[in-house]
Amino acid sequence: MKAHMPVSRVLSARRTIVLAAAVAIAAAGCSSSSSSSSSSSASSSAPASSSSASSSASTSAVSTSQCGTKPGVAATGTPIPLGAIATNQPGTSFTDIPNMAAAYFACVNANGGINGHPIKLYIETEQTNPAQIAADAKQLVDTDHVVGIVGNTSIIECSVDSSYWQKLGYFIVDSGIAPECYSTSNSAAVNMGPRYSSDGAVQYALAQHVNKIVFDQSNVPGTGYIAAGPDALAKAGNVPIVNLTENVPISDADSVAIKEVDDAGPNGAVVLNFTPPEALVILQAAQKLGLEDHVKLWGCSTPCNTDFLATSLGPKWDGKLFVNAELLPPDVTNTATMNLYKAILKQYGSAVSGGIGSFSQMGFTEAEILVHALESITSGSYTVASVNAAIKGVSDFNTGMLCQLWSYGDYSLHIPNNMDLTVTPASGKMVTAQGCTLISNVDPQIAAYRSAAGTAAMAPAS
Amino acid sequence: MPPWVDFQPFIVSGLALGGVYALSGVGLVVLYRATGVLYLAFGAVGALGALTAWSLGRVGAPGWVTWLVCIAVAALVTLGYGALFGPALSKRDPLIKAVATIGLTLILYGAMDLLWTTSGGQARSLALPTDNGGFSIGQVQVTWTQVIALAAGVVITVGTGAFLRFSKLGTAMRAMANDREITATLGVPVRKVEAAAWLGCGVLAGVAGLLLADLVALDATTLTFLVISSLAAVLIARLRSITVTFVAAIVVGLLHDLLTPITALTNYRDMTPFVLAAVALLVMPRSQVLAQSREEA
Repeated sequence: MKAHMPVSRVLSARRTIVLAAAVAIAAAGCSSSSSSSSSSSASSSAPASSSSASSSASTSAVSTSQCGTKPGVAATGTPIPLGAIATNQPGTSFTDIPNMAAAYFACVNANGGINGHPIKLYIETEQTNPAQIAADAKQLVDTDHVVGIVGNTSIIECSVDSSYWQKLGYFIVDSGIAPECYSTSNSAAVNMGPRYSSDGAVQYALAQHVNKIVFDQSNVPGTGYIAAGPDALAKAGNVPIVNLTENVPISDADSVAIKEVDDAGPNGAVVLNFTPPEALVILQAAQKLGLEDHVKLWGCSTPCNTDFLATSLGPKWDGKLFVNAELLPPDVTNTATMNLYKAILKQYGSAVSGGIGSFSQMGFTEAEILVHALESITSGSYTVASVNAAIKGVSDFNTGMLCQLWSYGDYSLHIPNNMDLTVTPASGKMVTAQGCTLISNVDPQIAAYRSAAGTAAMAPAS
Repeated sequence: MPPWVDFQPFIVSGLALGGVYALSGVGLVVLYRATGVLYLAFGAVGALGALTAWSLGRVGAPGWVTWLVCIAVAALVTLGYGALFGPALSKRDPLIKAVATIGLTLILYGAMDLLWTTSGGQARSLALPTDNGGFSIGQVQVTWTQVIALAAGVVITVGTGAFLRFSKLGTAMRAMANDREITATLGVPVRKVEAAAWLGCGVLAGVAGLLLADLVALDATTLTFLVISSLAAVLIARLRSITVTFVAAIVVGLLHDLLTPITALTNYRDMTPFVLAAVALLVMPRSQVLAQSREEA
């Protein structure tokens, strides 16, 4: 059959080609941006769910009534309005964190509230749009009249709003991602964030006497800032380090894994700083190609601390992959606080989609800190000034979730969580490979913080 | 420049990826030739199939059942879309037809984000049993999945070419590619022929989704937008030639992966499909591509 295309069809085809090219470019942009955010977020915020559907059996025995001062008495006073901003976009959602904080507040409200006042948490979501984020902050202040900010977890919120909060006198309790969450006077995170979490993973690898480090992370803004920590640690240990970045979502995991292993060598370590899905594809590619044993060990920042990952990887990675953990492991920690967290999640956390895990642990911890701060206000007046003074005044508070006591304080930077654990997969769960360990002072930011705030004591089990 | 030996593993991974891109590209070209629709939801329906298969696997369904369901889901969604919107769109400009499939892409993408959320840091994977076997070429490990991916690209390309040339249905598709109205006037049941093209494209989307979920990642975003690499191959073939599509897809996959060990270029390797497509569209004489298409026809 002889193909003869009519002129109109040829023209249409040409226009379609042009459209297809435009769509391809636009879609690539979307994809890249959404995934960038995705990797940046996850790689950044420790947010990773270490979760499991299986909550401890002891949970059911814990009464949620102990979260408030008057068990069983609902708070009916004037609400204390608080606000939160969280990223929520396809592939990247941190809403579990403020949602868990809201669950904790619901529990408090049902058990006496704060001197009879219920807490109301306004949650705004954003899609990595600076103008939208700035508008969210203004709405919380001008429309919702919030007196405190807790539960923020956003890819760029700290960068966008930091000066705004500073000008208005808000002292934020958040889960940090952007550098400004750690390097400013008015933001204190309960997590370590990507840099210090990567420090922890590299520090563990160095302690195992590897002779080279390959540090690979998402190719998103801020990679230089994150890599500066691992670089400093490797340099201090006289171990060469190779910094790699990958565009996300990763479409050639085999190539990425091969390159990492080639660069690290048999006595080296590959340390990843990616979201759980991206880390998983790299590790699985390495496994398919039989590369898992071609280096001395694999490391990962906090996002890999998830049972989803441990389950998906299988037993070949048990004792081979070592992951930084910023919060106490929920599966193996049997304390009153951990059990309360699980009980609150069960009773009030229907909006927390990820269940037990780092995200909801962070939300719980931030809410704990806020309640502790609010309860310290004796005047009965909950204003921006009084609430934020109370937040700033939190000192050596035992959250029951972190290795260290947590403080806010009047410092130019805040890295109150700077002691990590290391976990490794074992039969589909993450188990502790190394107990609480201080992140090294070799990272100049850690040194600067400890110089200002000192080294917080280890938290007793509670 | 790294030594030659450093490039060898990347040839294997590049060929495997190129094979799946070819598989996808051929599906896109066949559908376009039969219906005039550039099916931009190809990646999304494959992702939907793969995620459905993952969910079934979680509740204990046997592997082969989940694979068939993956292909069936992609095929049915594609056929359903074609049956529902195909007739209404048949007389519209190809631009409108293509844009309409973006609507389907966005709906599926949103639904997948809702049903298989990642808000709790969930990471999923779909491993095929062929990952556990393979062979070595020198120091390069090759898995059976990689072999299957490349073989699937070759088989689908050759099979589709033969189908279009020698079968009655294929002849009807080629006729419709030239002029739908005249073909209908000649008594060809155009609706049925179009339905067959939609179904075939959907099946290929399912197969591609299954292989890419294993070779790349089981993630809605990744799989939905991975169609772009195939689209580049299709553009190079100017939506006509399945042979050019196959060759272009293999080149895209190979070149993309071969840039990985080159430090200066490694961060730019994701540009490969677009650069190749742009260069091809600018340099390759249009008459040459059309002539090749006519020869194939």
